[in-house]
Amino acid sequence: MSTSVADTAKGAAGGHETAARAVSLVKTYGMGEARVVALDGVDVSIGRGRFTAVMGPSGSGKSTLMHCLAGLDTVSAGRVWLGEREITGLNDRQLTRLRRDHVGFMFQSFNLLPTLTAEENITLPMDIAGRKPDREWLREVISTLRLGDRLRHRPSQLSGGQQQRVACARALAARPDLIFADEPTGNLDSRSGLEVLQFLREAVDGLGQTVVMVTHDPNAAAHADRALYLADGRIVDEMARPTAESVLERMQIFATGPKAAQPLPATGAGPSPNADSNPAPDPDPDSDSDSEPPTAPRPATDPPTGPASSPDAPRNG
Amino acid sequence: MLRATLRSFFAHKGRLLLSALAVVLSVAFVVGSLIFSDTTGATFDRLFASTASDVRIAPRQDFDAPGGIGSAETPTVPAALRARVAGVEGVAGAHLDVSLNRTTVTDARNQPVGPTQNASSIVAAWYPSEHSPVQVTSGRPPRGAGEAMLDRDSADRKGIRIGDTLHVIAPPGTFSVRVVGIATFTTTNPGASLVFLETRAAQRGLLGSTAKATGISVDAAPGVPDSVLKSRIGAALGSGAAAYDIRTRDEQKKSQAEELGDFLSILKYMMVGFAGVAVLVGVFLIVNTFSMLIAQRTRELGLLRALGADRRQVRRSVLLEALLLGVFGATVGLAAGVGLAVLLVVALGWFGLRLNTADLVLNWPTVVVAYIVGVGVTFVAALLPALRAGRVSPMAALADAEVPGAGRPLRDRAIAGSLVGAAGAAALVGCALSTRTALAGTLLALGVLLTLVAVVVAGPLLVRPVIRLLGRGLEPAFGAVGRMGRRNALRNPRRTGATAAALMVGLALVAGLSVAGASAAASVDRQIDRTLGADFVVQNTSFAPFSGEVTDRVRATPGVGTVVRQRIVPLRLHLPDGRTVTTVAGAFDRDFDAVGKVTYAAGGTAAALAPGRVGVQEKFAREHGLRVGSTLDAVLPSGRPARFTVGALTADSGSGPAAQGGVFMGMATLAKYVPRGQDSAVYVNAADGVDPQRLRADLERTLKPFPQVQVNDRADYKQLVSGQIQGLLNLLYGLLGLAIVIAVLGVVNTLALSVVERTREIGLLRAVGLSRKQLRRMIRLESVVIAVFGALLGLGLGLVWGAATQRVLALEGLTAFAIPWSTVAAVVIGSVLVGLLAALLPALRASRLNVLAAIAHE
Repeated sequence: MSTSVADTAKGAAGGHETAARAVSLVKTYGMGEARVVALDGVDVSIGRGRFTAVMGPSGSGKSTLMHCLAGLDTVSAGRVWLGEREITGLNDRQLTRLRRDHVGFMFQSFNLLPTLTAEENITLPMDIAGRKPDREWLREVISTLRLGDRLRHRPSQLSGGQQQRVACARALAARPDLIFADEPTGNLDSRSGLEVLQFLREAVDGLGQTVVMVTHDPNAAAHADRALYLADGRIVDEMARPTAESVLERMQIFATGPKAAQPLPATGAGPSPNADSNPAPDPDPDSDSDSEPPTAPRPATDPPTGPASSPDAPRNG
Repeated sequence: MLRATLRSFFAHKGRLLLSALAVVLSVAFVVGSLIFSDTTGATFDRLFASTASDVRIAPRQDFDAPGGIGSAETPTVPAALRARVAGVEGVAGAHLDVSLNRTTVTDARNQPVGPTQNASSIVAAWYPSEHSPVQVTSGRPPRGAGEAMLDRDSADRKGIRIGDTLHVIAPPGTFSVRVVGIATFTTTNPGASLVFLETRAAQRGLLGSTAKATGISVDAAPGVPDSVLKSRIGAALGSGAAAYDIRTRDEQKKSQAEELGDFLSILKYMMVGFAGVAVLVGVFLIVNTFSMLIAQRTRELGLLRALGADRRQVRRSVLLEALLLGVFGATVGLAAGVGLAVLLVVALGWFGLRLNTADLVLNWPTVVVAYIVGVGVTFVAALLPALRAGRVSPMAALADAEVPGAGRPLRDRAIAGSLVGAAGAAALVGCALSTRTALAGTLLALGVLLTLVAVVVAGPLLVRPVIRLLGRGLEPAFGAVGRMGRRNALRNPRRTGATAAALMVGLALVAGLSVAGASAAASVDRQIDRTLGADFVVQNTSFAPFSGEVTDRVRATPGVGTVVRQRIVPLRLHLPDGRTVTTVAGAFDRDFDAVGKVTYAAGGTAAALAPGRVGVQEKFAREHGLRVGSTLDAVLPSGRPARFTVGALTADSGSGPAAQGGVFMGMATLAKYVPRGQDSAVYVNAADGVDPQRLRADLERTLKPFPQVQVNDRADYKQLVSGQIQGLLNLLYGLLGLAIVIAVLGVVNTLALSVVERTREIGLLRAVGLSRKQLRRMIRLESVVIAVFGALLGLGLGLVWGAATQRVLALEGLTAFAIPWSTVAAVVIGSVLVGLLAALLPALRASRLNVLAAIAHE
């Protein structure tokens, strides 16, 4: 596994704009012969206020990485921070509270409780915590996601796209440090999927949220500021401002087999299988994000429809 | 298809576990009841067979009177008869039987040697015989006056040894004996305590004369059939034979078995009846299980259909699963039933009835019943879900729908429920308005059944409104967790309705019985207040007659004022309307008015107690065509006819024994037919200026040697009666306990299957931050909501039943109506506890689910 853990950890910790990071993250399942390594020494940091896509073929460990970063799963080795807080070693109760208060979730399907209305689903994490939702923020989120007229509906009365928008609203409602979206468009038709992606983009640009999205769809990844590429439990590539074409191209290279792909230094981004050893191969969106306009670089709802006034308000969140 | 079914059965065996348990428990209870009653029956048959003599001559007994012989002296035959019988050809031996059944025998500390405080002993003359149920095991048999032999069980129980002194409180007077021997039962001890005396001592001590005996046992010479001997004895006695009952061994066996059989079959039917309630409750559980399994497997069934299985095959596969479950449940239940019967036998041992567990009787009908109940119940319960399974369309395989079932309209149920409910309500109203007990009883049973069916059918319709109301407090108290718990309970009204209905059945019966019991107790209280004027009543807790010495001692106690004796006599009344009624009449001393308050519709106490007259309840008189001045013909148990004139009619049934007809007379009238006898109660007033509490202490001191009687004031008397009612209720509650246990299993079952069904939801909730504790609380709240809903339905239904039952009781004179609020409160609180208990395992299981695995769950 990696030898330069300490350096990278420092390096990653250097930017206080890190929403989550992991150092030498290892996750294995099973014992002995049946042992499967899902994550094999991953170092990663997720920039605050950024939209990061995690890509990779199935079995590459992309979902596992997300689960570990989100405090849904325990790690076998390595350390994970969420914001400034180390979450490795927390017990179930602490992790549960952490998820409740600091992380938002969107899953591929079955995101909503069928017994609760859309509005109740949106405020669920806060209701569980026994906290009053910030009404003004809630209104903003709801209007951004255009759910105003659906609040009293039950999930069974909503379309798939609407359901995912409600899930997105729920993820945003508590103003979490980080939103994890696991294949949020996987079950949607392309139009609804595009809509959801645009809302996630809007959440980052307009509402200042941090989003990590696991996907295998290059078109989805194209909405992100940065794409991480996992194969065989390692980060094998990373790309800033991905486009559908560039992602697809990269995927085709890796699809032939990550080992074969390793030596290929494509598109200027740090392609090393040990992404950690590479200090800052990309134009580093993390460091100069301030100078960049928060507007979406990719196809997006360019003028943030609803809350045009708020982009800087949640910045400090 | 068969293989698919079997695979499915074994794949889901965990989910069928609680259903199987419900079948096992129901079958076990049925089987246990049957084995137990067969075993007791067989044991007593054997006991009777081994203890019966070849031919027995006993005093003639025309009818079995309710409450035994009453106050009358024990019927006897002349001792001289033995010599005459001994001379009959074919008689190998003839023995004098001297035996008194209900006699109190006390040890040196005035404690009765019977199995319980009130249980009396059988005191009998000893003679060696192959028919004796006991064998002398230490010491020797009694050889003269003042000697006795005791059975080992009683001796062990009371720590009595050879050389100890016993007091026999016999009708002629108390006498003391010294224990010289101990005898051990060679057969099953039927729960009796036996004291043997030498024959002449027994005759003198128990019957007051050596010229009498209670019967004669005859041994036949070898080769002489019992029936031949019987007719020879009958012929030898000539016309005198009419005064006796002469019975062969088989006849004795039969009459004894019949006597006991009545009691045993009541017990059996009661137990089987309650087992039936348990079976009914089990049906709800199984219906729910299969409905949920099929709902969860909709896609799987759809796939089978898509692959070419036709509806019948799908249906059959579900029914086959039910069949397997039923066979399994019945087999295990049969084994468990044997275990239950053993437990019952052991438990009876604590009450003195020592049955041998090795003698358990497992008749083949029991086995058949076990399988009919087990398989039949499961099959019937799975029928509806199987039909529904057959209707699953092949498209279901493709749909990514969530579990259906909640959406189907409940309109059919609404219509059926209202129709049946209206019929049931009409029956109950009819019952309340009816003036004839028999009709009212029939309408009551019909009404109870119909309203039960109606509430079961319409239960799911009540789920939403009632639980919305119930759950109103949950959200403010428990926030989002409370909201989700309540919504989950509301989610599938059919399931919630069926789960709650199972609990409802048991609790409705509890509520109904408690209302009836409380009303009866309140009525008796009121009657006691209204009619009992005496300061104290001296009597036996079982209301059995007691030795005349007690009355003598009461009279002799300083400070005693008026003393009124009560005696009872069984009578068979031949009424003017042609009917025959067997009842118990009371007889009182002339000063009756000083201790009792009776309202008369015609005549008065003096007229009722005058020689040759009787008082009769007005309603009874009206129904049977009796008026003041009518002649009332009656027969005593001995066959002796009696003729009375109606002297007075009472306005209510509150005088003397509350037996049918309320017949009572003066002591002098009774004495004409029953010259000597024992009192069944003595009413005592304190003399003027005497403090009743002081008198009570004096009475209790004087009566110390007679533990069979107690001194009761009005409050004690009420407590005695309500204690007996409560005892009966407790027994019934205990029998209902099984149905409630199965209903609780049903709640556990529903919750457990719901947890499986909602695995992904649980994963999602945990992911977005619901703690394990909150998750457990959510499931507990759902459980409590379901349980309380069931309890409320049950209480509502039970109170209606109880009110209707009270109307029937009112026709029998129990006019008060009382709702036992403490029981109602206990049921509600109990249902909350039941809910918490039922949620224990499902909640634990849910909280242990791995979040990621749960989210990914199919």
